[in-house]
Amino acid sequence: MSHFPKKGLWQQCPRCHRHVHRLEWGQLRICPYCGYYLRLTAKQRIQQLTTGNDFIRLPKLAEHTVPFTFPGYQQKLAQAREKTGLKEAFVAGQAQLAGATFILGVMDSHFMMGTLNIVVGARLRQAIETAKQRKLPLILVIASGGARMQEGILSLLQMNTVLAAYDALNAAGLFTLNILTDPTMGGVSASFAFAADIVLAEAGATIGFAGKRVIEATSHEVLPTDFQTADSLYRQGQLDAVVQRSNLTAVVSQLLRLH
Amino acid sequence: MLKDQLKQIRSSKRLSAATVITALTTDFFALHGDGYQGDDPAVTVGFGRFMRQTVLMIGVNRGATIQQRLAYHFGAVSPAGYRKVNRGLKQAAKFHWPVISLINMPGAAADVAAERTGQSQAIAATIRQMGQLPVPNIAVFLGEGQSGGALALANCNRILMLGNSLYSVASPEAVQAILKNRRQELTAYLPMTAPQLLKLGLADQVITEDQHTVQRLQRALTTQLTELQTWSPAKLKQQRQAKYLALVAPSD
Repeated sequence: MSHFPKKGLWQQCPRCHRHVHRLEWGQLRICPYCGYYLRLTAKQRIQQLTTGNDFIRLPKLAEHTVPFTFPGYQQKLAQAREKTGLKEAFVAGQAQLAGATFILGVMDSHFMMGTLNIVVGARLRQAIETAKQRKLPLILVIASGGARMQEGILSLLQMNTVLAAYDALNAAGLFTLNILTDPTMGGVSASFAFAADIVLAEAGATIGFAGKRVIEATSHEVLPTDFQTADSLYRQGQLDAVVQRSNLTAVVSQLLRLH
Repeated sequence: MLKDQLKQIRSSKRLSAATVITALTTDFFALHGDGYQGDDPAVTVGFGRFMRQTVLMIGVNRGATIQQRLAYHFGAVSPAGYRKVNRGLKQAAKFHWPVISLINMPGAAADVAAERTGQSQAIAATIRQMGQLPVPNIAVFLGEGQSGGALALANCNRILMLGNSLYSVASPEAVQAILKNRRQELTAYLPMTAPQLLKLGLADQVITEDQHTVQRLQRALTTQLTELQTWSPAKLKQQRQAKYLALVAPSD
């Protein structure tokens, strides 16, 4: 037996660089020293926002792929699947929290940065349409770098198709809540992310349309230190609230109670 | 070659939205401003006579001279620009004017001010309003269009593309950056040229580029609008959704 600690037990905090034990990160994955939030997986997010194990995944959709091949994409997909145990970057199901039933959809940034492709788009539309059919509120936890470039124009067309479905749900009088987590960018930010009745952001999330590097390269501006942070968007009136991770369940419960 | 195509599209000699608006419409009146923040000269939004009726024209301006290019921010449309578009779309819906958008643009404005003043929300609002218009809308790609900034102006019943125009998820340069060291052209891997998108079913018509491009475009717009104007508002909205859904989710 090796005297080295088991792999994956310790993880360095990206912000304060301390080595933190898994138990210390806790279920919510918060650094005990500096309060940094590690990005949660879809599974962790579902645990956080459902009571017990009350999450019933939506039925599988027929598989379809884009009719063209981008070099290296299949390997990237395979790696992401292996790493996350997910087939794609979005998971949705019917969930229960504090006595309320709703459709919960979660994007996973660990899967190719939660990017929008034809499968993620189809699952998003499925979640939205299921909420409409079952007359349930829809809660989306968003974490995405935007449209997935490897699927080209068909990724881009998820923006208008998902937004159209989302608007139909809003028109049906059902409560919609989006929780923007780190990161919420590009094609996701510029389509359905802000289309909800209530838009919350998790503290510390980066939210914006263009990426910081792109902005620096095209505008040659020096970016403010709080640029594209949840706090700055809140001050600009673009968000209803910035919520601490430990408080998110309580805020979501409150909103569900009121609707 | 993609490189030559981009050079041509981005050249000051490229057929501009302003030229098309002047050639196609009479009595053109341009809106000014988004109603509270300012006016974005990177996009012209206005109405004029075309086919013996009033139509709303949206044209992105890249500018020909260096002065124009600076004034228009090279065609990078800001939130105020999208909100001006949204004002125009509201009037088009109110007065039953068909909408024609003319696209040759880099991505939407990427700067601190654009982010602060709600670029994401402004683009989403344009996508929404274009999708829900009770009147026909037609997008014309005069040059390049990419990312959400172009999609917002191209969420239309019909998409016409000039022979050398491009429509892609991100700028060809950005996509090339994730491709790394490939000999083949980007277009071999991702459809983005007019003939490719016609084949895919996204573009409805490709317009040959020659000395009669404007006349060809005029004929194409007349033909398309004549058909679309026989449709009910419900059918126009439904066709838009069905068109894009069929492309992204063939089996849904």
